[in-house]
Amino acid sequence: MSGGVVLAEVWWEQLLHGILSWEFLQFVVAFASIFGFVMTSAVILILAERKVMAWMQDRYGPLHTGPWGLLQTVADVGKLLLKEDIHAGKIDKAVFILAPSVFLAPVIASFAVLPFSPYISLPGAPLATGIVYLIAMSSLDVVGVIMAGWGSNNKYALIGGLRSAAQMISYELPLVLSLVSVIMLTSILRDSGIGTIAIKDIMNFQMAQNWPGKGNPVWDFIFEGFTPWAWFILVQPLLVVIYYTCGLAETNRSPFDLPEAESELVAGYLTEYSGMRWALFFLGEYGNMTIVSAITAMLFLGGWSGPGVAFLTAPGMAIGWQVLGNLLALFYFILKIYLLCGVFIWVRTTLPRLRADQLMQFAWLILIPTTLVNIVLTGALYLVLNALGASNLVFLIVLGVVNWLMLFGFFWVVSRATTASTRRAMAPAIRARQRLAALTAAPSAPRLPEPERTGVTGAGATSGR
Amino acid sequence: MATNQGVNRPPLEGEAPGELRSEEMILNMGPQHPSTHGVLRLVLTLEGETVVDCTPVIGYLHRGIEKILENRTVMAGIRYMDNADYLSPMLNETAYVGAVEQLMGIEPPRRAQYIRLITNELQRIASHLVAIGTYLLDLGAFTPILWTFRDREGILSLFEALGGSRFNVNYMRVGGVLHDFPKGWLQQCEAWCNQFEKNLQELETLITGNEIFEARTQGVGYVDPQQAIAYGLTGPMLRASGVNWDLRVNRPYMAYREIKVNPQVRQEGDCYARYRVRMQEMAESLRLVRVAMDQLPGGPISTRTPIALRPPRGETYFAIESSKGELGIYFISDGSEYPWRAKIRGPSFVNLQILPELLRGHKMSDVVAILGSLDIVLGEVDR
Repeated sequence: MSGGVVLAEVWWEQLLHGILSWEFLQFVVAFASIFGFVMTSAVILILAERKVMAWMQDRYGPLHTGPWGLLQTVADVGKLLLKEDIHAGKIDKAVFILAPSVFLAPVIASFAVLPFSPYISLPGAPLATGIVYLIAMSSLDVVGVIMAGWGSNNKYALIGGLRSAAQMISYELPLVLSLVSVIMLTSILRDSGIGTIAIKDIMNFQMAQNWPGKGNPVWDFIFEGFTPWAWFILVQPLLVVIYYTCGLAETNRSPFDLPEAESELVAGYLTEYSGMRWALFFLGEYGNMTIVSAITAMLFLGGWSGPGVAFLTAPGMAIGWQVLGNLLALFYFILKIYLLCGVFIWVRTTLPRLRADQLMQFAWLILIPTTLVNIVLTGALYLVLNALGASNLVFLIVLGVVNWLMLFGFFWVVSRATTASTRRAMAPAIRARQRLAALTAAPSAPRLPEPERTGVTGAGATSGR
Repeated sequence: MATNQGVNRPPLEGEAPGELRSEEMILNMGPQHPSTHGVLRLVLTLEGETVVDCTPVIGYLHRGIEKILENRTVMAGIRYMDNADYLSPMLNETAYVGAVEQLMGIEPPRRAQYIRLITNELQRIASHLVAIGTYLLDLGAFTPILWTFRDREGILSLFEALGGSRFNVNYMRVGGVLHDFPKGWLQQCEAWCNQFEKNLQELETLITGNEIFEARTQGVGYVDPQQAIAYGLTGPMLRASGVNWDLRVNRPYMAYREIKVNPQVRQEGDCYARYRVRMQEMAESLRLVRVAMDQLPGGPISTRTPIALRPPRGETYFAIESSKGELGIYFISDGSEYPWRAKIRGPSFVNLQILPELLRGHKMSDVVAILGSLDIVLGEVDR
């Protein structure tokens, strides 16, 4: 009896110590700051999206709440917080209530491994498996979407949830594969031959050690740690495009916003949600956008590097300059994130949305083969050039040229493929009509018997198109 | 499907115990749905994402316009025609007054005919702008609808200057039109035409040639010419299937007897062709407006017709080429001030009939793509 009591005391004491410990406080602060960042970022992004879309569409956008409508989203958040949380009848209550949290939690967790500047980072940032962790978190999102779709007891929501599951799982693959080549690059560039998947390390690979006018303080100030010619976007432009496209699909943004296609599915898995639960989904979506943009900026655009950052934060500088350098780094990083989010918005105003089967086709028949070919090509090029005795610089230049050519080839293939798939899609409908017309002279032909009908009109051929 | 039956549900018909089998799902789309263009209700039978069957249910916007017309004098009834196809009131009014004029044997003055042509073609542009904007919205593109509505606002402003009202203009009269052009109207219209020419080009650049748009519309919703004729399709639906039939050319009425229209025909018969026909018709209408403004004759704008109009006993059918197809009025008069019967042959109603036939075998996402390409207005379907 006494043993059990002692055990319980130990357990409680340990928990108490854990909660009151320095590490726990760290995590609390980390969570609060991430949540604050996601929230603020979402508010700013929603406003920016509405304003930018309005400018592109020849209208004003929000105008009356605050100066130039700047407080519109703040007011919206207030409204959403105060709104009634409506539960429709016969929903699966536990699933329905949990879904927004399940959707939002991985988004917030993703930020844990993102460094924001040389010194500003969260406790998880040194994690050596940064990219793997990020991908794992972004894959978890789909669970929340399916839960929302299932728990809503609504056919539109269910279709939206299932579409989303298929879409997110399909686009996960090219997304991962497009990052593999970057990791290969790091393993080639490092002398030890062992690459890295830590985000900060990959970023550091994009800072060249030499720049024009080295030694001159002005040039040093600008170019130390800011060498755009060494960014991976120049070496692997195709992967940036593919990664970004997959990011669009991952975050359910237009033109891949089928799960919440409002013209077909009303609001997809969001249909039955209202108030703050609905807002949580939105928060998650915009948080996802930020994550995708942040990873693109880190892996391909040099992260926080910009004029002055490395110069000011170099060891030996006064603490005031160090702080300024960090703030500058934060500014550059967030600027890059928002510029990339701007591309999201730009795409949204321009493009119509794809059909579900075309979406799958695009992922499996175009994106995955392209990324696989790129991996093989990168490896083969390195082996060949290495055997010829060429330096890493030559390899990077050759790889860059090949990749830029592949980028234009990719666009050509995509345009050809859409035309071809369109023709294929056109064929069954036309053939079906012709056969129906031949079968019966009457215009309103009766429905054919079951097996033939599926054959003729292509009904049920969900994977055949 | 989404009910929580779990695994303990009773076995379905013809299903062995323990075997899993998929069912067809019945999805009710509308009457309150973002993209059924009003209050159309579609009962879809889905097999996965494939549409197996579709039953359109109409009547949610029935206001009894034909009955209302019987209880209004001829002149008072013109205003109610505005509400039938609420996206092209000018065309509706023209059809109605045209029927009365045909029954009474009135020939409106040339200037009135030209004014009617100008307003009709502007209205056709306005209607097509809405059709294309909402169609692209259905397909998930946000921008075109705002651009098209911006240009449509210009047309509505022109109508406001003309008839005093932006939407339900009530501008046509038996024997002519209500007012002549106010001062400066033609310059305003010319300026709008110049602006619209640029905007139309911009719209083309945005939409036409977009690969996603082409992939979504090409080969979707194919109607072959025989089928189109058999279903009685008219307007852009018919011309997109390669049938060259335009009442402005084949049965010219009013000023169309003097101004030659180039009918816009395409052969593909799919949603893309219907979109292209509408775009081309807008350019053609713009040309017609300019030609008519150049050749605008002087003279009176109306014959002298009494307000208390008594059409002679008899019946007539008069049809014009509306923005959506053949808009016909079957008008029976018993010699009194009130029409004994005024039947509207709404092109939207007729064009809608082919929908279940078109949807069968397509994906669920194609439902909105096909429905949007029909360009129906529920106000005209239900009347």
